[in-house]
Amino acid sequence: MDIFLQQLLNALSLGGTYALLALGLAVVFSIIGLINFAHGELMTVTGYAVCFALIWGLPFPLAVIAGLAVAMTAAFLMERVAFRPVRGASGTTLLLTSFAVSAILRVLFQNLISARPIPVAIPASLSGVVTIGPLHLGMIQLISIIVTLAMLLGLNLFLHRTMAGRAMRAAAEDFAVLRLMGLRANSVVATAFAISGLLAGVAGVLWVAQRGSVDPLMGALPVLKAFIAAIIGGLGSLSGAVAGGFLLGFIEVILQAYLPESLLPYRDAFAILLVIAVLLFRPQGLLARKTLVKL
Amino acid sequence: MPRIGIQAVKGTITLALPLIALAIVAELVLPPALARLATLFLIYVTAVVGMQIYSGNSGIISFGHAGFMALGAYASALLTIQPAVLPTSLPTLPVWLAGIAGGQSLLVGTLGAMVVVGLVAVLFGIPLARLGGSAASIATLGFLVIVHVTLVASADITRGSQTFFGVPRGVSAFVALPAALIAVAVARIYRGTKGGLALRAAREDEIAARASGVNVSRQRFVAWLLGALVSGTAGVLLAHFLGAFSPKDFHFNLTFLLMSMLILGGISTVSGAVGGTALILVMVDLLRRLEGGAEVFGVTLPEVFGLTDIGVGLVILAVMYRLRDGLFGLREVDERLFPEPAVTAAFAAKKPTSNAASLSVQGVGRRFAGLVALEDVSFAVRPGLVTGLIGPNGAGKSTLINAISGVVPPSSGKVLLNGTDTAQILVHEVPANGLGRTFQNIRLFRNLTVLENVTVAADAVVRPGEDSRAAAMAALTVVGMQDLAARPASSLPYGAQRRLEIARALALRPSFLLLDEPAAGMNPAETDALIAVLRQIRADHEIGLLVVEHDLKLIMRLCDHIVVLNKGQMIAEGTPEAIRANPAVIEAYIGKRRAAA
Repeated sequence: MDIFLQQLLNALSLGGTYALLALGLAVVFSIIGLINFAHGELMTVTGYAVCFALIWGLPFPLAVIAGLAVAMTAAFLMERVAFRPVRGASGTTLLLTSFAVSAILRVLFQNLISARPIPVAIPASLSGVVTIGPLHLGMIQLISIIVTLAMLLGLNLFLHRTMAGRAMRAAAEDFAVLRLMGLRANSVVATAFAISGLLAGVAGVLWVAQRGSVDPLMGALPVLKAFIAAIIGGLGSLSGAVAGGFLLGFIEVILQAYLPESLLPYRDAFAILLVIAVLLFRPQGLLARKTLVKL
Repeated sequence: MPRIGIQAVKGTITLALPLIALAIVAELVLPPALARLATLFLIYVTAVVGMQIYSGNSGIISFGHAGFMALGAYASALLTIQPAVLPTSLPTLPVWLAGIAGGQSLLVGTLGAMVVVGLVAVLFGIPLARLGGSAASIATLGFLVIVHVTLVASADITRGSQTFFGVPRGVSAFVALPAALIAVAVARIYRGTKGGLALRAAREDEIAARASGVNVSRQRFVAWLLGALVSGTAGVLLAHFLGAFSPKDFHFNLTFLLMSMLILGGISTVSGAVGGTALILVMVDLLRRLEGGAEVFGVTLPEVFGLTDIGVGLVILAVMYRLRDGLFGLREVDERLFPEPAVTAAFAAKKPTSNAASLSVQGVGRRFAGLVALEDVSFAVRPGLVTGLIGPNGAGKSTLINAISGVVPPSSGKVLLNGTDTAQILVHEVPANGLGRTFQNIRLFRNLTVLENVTVAADAVVRPGEDSRAAAMAALTVVGMQDLAARPASSLPYGAQRRLEIARALALRPSFLLLDEPAAGMNPAETDALIAVLRQIRADHEIGLLVVEHDLKLIMRLCDHIVVLNKGQMIAEGTPEAIRANPAVIEAYIGKRRAAA
């Protein structure tokens, strides 16, 4: 039972990071239909920003804030420079555009910063272990669970209680009608990217805090998982993205714990296969967006 | 039996000749470095064409084809690896493989690879075929990761992330040529087959494709399997060209490269795949020379790691920003160089008037959560007559249409089409049971020609020995569009687009035709032309028409029988004269007080 609880906490922590990333993808997808391959590079940018802020002598909390600010700015700029020219184009065009942006950014990181991992000085206070009854939980894992829940709650409040948040939910339902209501498309899209950048930034900080280093490909793997989580949840559904993220986290942790050792290297393959098997039964994802197709 | 048109043969030859010429020049004239580049080109053509078969026809970007190349490469290499190196390179090879591994010929290796690739493609294709758009793309990405992880993890047979070596290198331009030619022929012929055309229609509009009798999932599956086999062959060739490789050679960088080749030329044509491959390969080769730092006009360039990736990335961006359909556009080179001769219409022999045809709505109701959209509606549409369905906004007309066409099953009651309950069959099976339809918001296959639009539907009901293109031409003639057959559908004026939808539905040889606001947005002249066409159809084909329309004048002029819905209920049914005089109808349309006055 204790082992199970322990695994549950591990799953919450890992799944939470996937959920944040998938949510960031879904916020943008629900509004402009873009699957942002460069979402991982936003994580990487955050990692570098935190890293350099620490090297310049900023205290850790300030470095994190700087990292998040950089992530939001980067997301905003990405939309302005790379994605606005193709806004309104087909999903395929948007996907390919972001794929190219992602590849170019990676090469730039490799050339302008370093192809090798750079260590990040994470404060020693974060590397402790918290013991709650029979459970041992890394400080960072605990923070990661708390931060994830706080972010989800905060985003929920933002979407339901503020004007900008309501506008975004409306945009996700029907962007054309929202524009007819006199809201400016550009500001709604910019807000979506800023939120998506913030979510990627938070996930980036958590990821870096656990690994202690940054490299140009840092964001690639977690975001790949987040894509999968987002489809499982139902593309464009925000609650679906969160559910998909946690589900994938659980599957991975359980496979890690219970797969025989000889099969462990196949863990990621099994996890993705399981998740895709879900699509056999729910082709639209777990929490599909209600789509009103006018025939 | 797949339909192999003259045009597909012309197209294959048009693309094959330059490839053959290149291979001959490479083997006989070119210096070794350039000959290698030419061989690599033929290998990449095979890979990219494999991708085109799936992505180009379905419109779903695939990240998975590099994975099929990897499977092809490893499966064949295990069979052909030099027996001498086997003990050192794969000391822990499982027993069941030890008997067949090593020393086989390239042909046996290729066949073995095809078995593996085909099996994997079938297994993964089953869930994938149900997905469309971006979700399908991400699933193919998941597939690529699965293949990569599995190859790295299966160190016993793949050496894991280490280099797999000892594969006999024997692929020259002449060895790669047949594969490239077969790939081009398969892709070009598939594009014109019934399945290929149906899949292209689904790419343009999935809902309209289903309503034209296309089994979208099945066609996606077929294209996925064909493309996998072709790309897998390219993997076999690449393995025996390189002689040594590792899983990362078949991962994101390769995917990225193949994708840029495909979209630069234009994803929707085989010509584009071939042309784009040539251009990108030359660009990458030039950039690779600059990558290590070079001297250009006396200026020493710095070493840039990943210059080729930046180049490829910028090409993709440029295409996306400026030239979405790619350099070759939407039509094959052969279709531009040697336009097809006009198709002669073949009118089907008039069916003897059968009174067996029936379409009856029986007590149909539909609730959405608590809302009652439709309640206990019953009426029949009779063959050879025009039935009008009218009602104010929110009366439940759209819900009723969706119930009749099988898109949204009713919560109570049923719709019987020639004896079949439309809720019990799949949406794409409804047309073959005798119902064709048009859409309120025009849904054409915009990037297909007028004739292709109608041929998709004709293919769904074609009888053995019959030419569906000639039948499609006949349907076009009925609506007076025979001279526009070669035009892209998107280039038609509004009224003609509406008539094209009608022709497409007619090509299904339906016993009933459901027209959803056919005159919406038409000017009076276009409306008159439409009425003439509809009367003609009723007279010539003994088809029962069900017309949903806001334009009451049109309904009164055209219909023999009218059904009136209001607030989900059927409030009246009868001849135009009776409906015009019915107080309940007047009340529903203009309000109680005015009606009483």
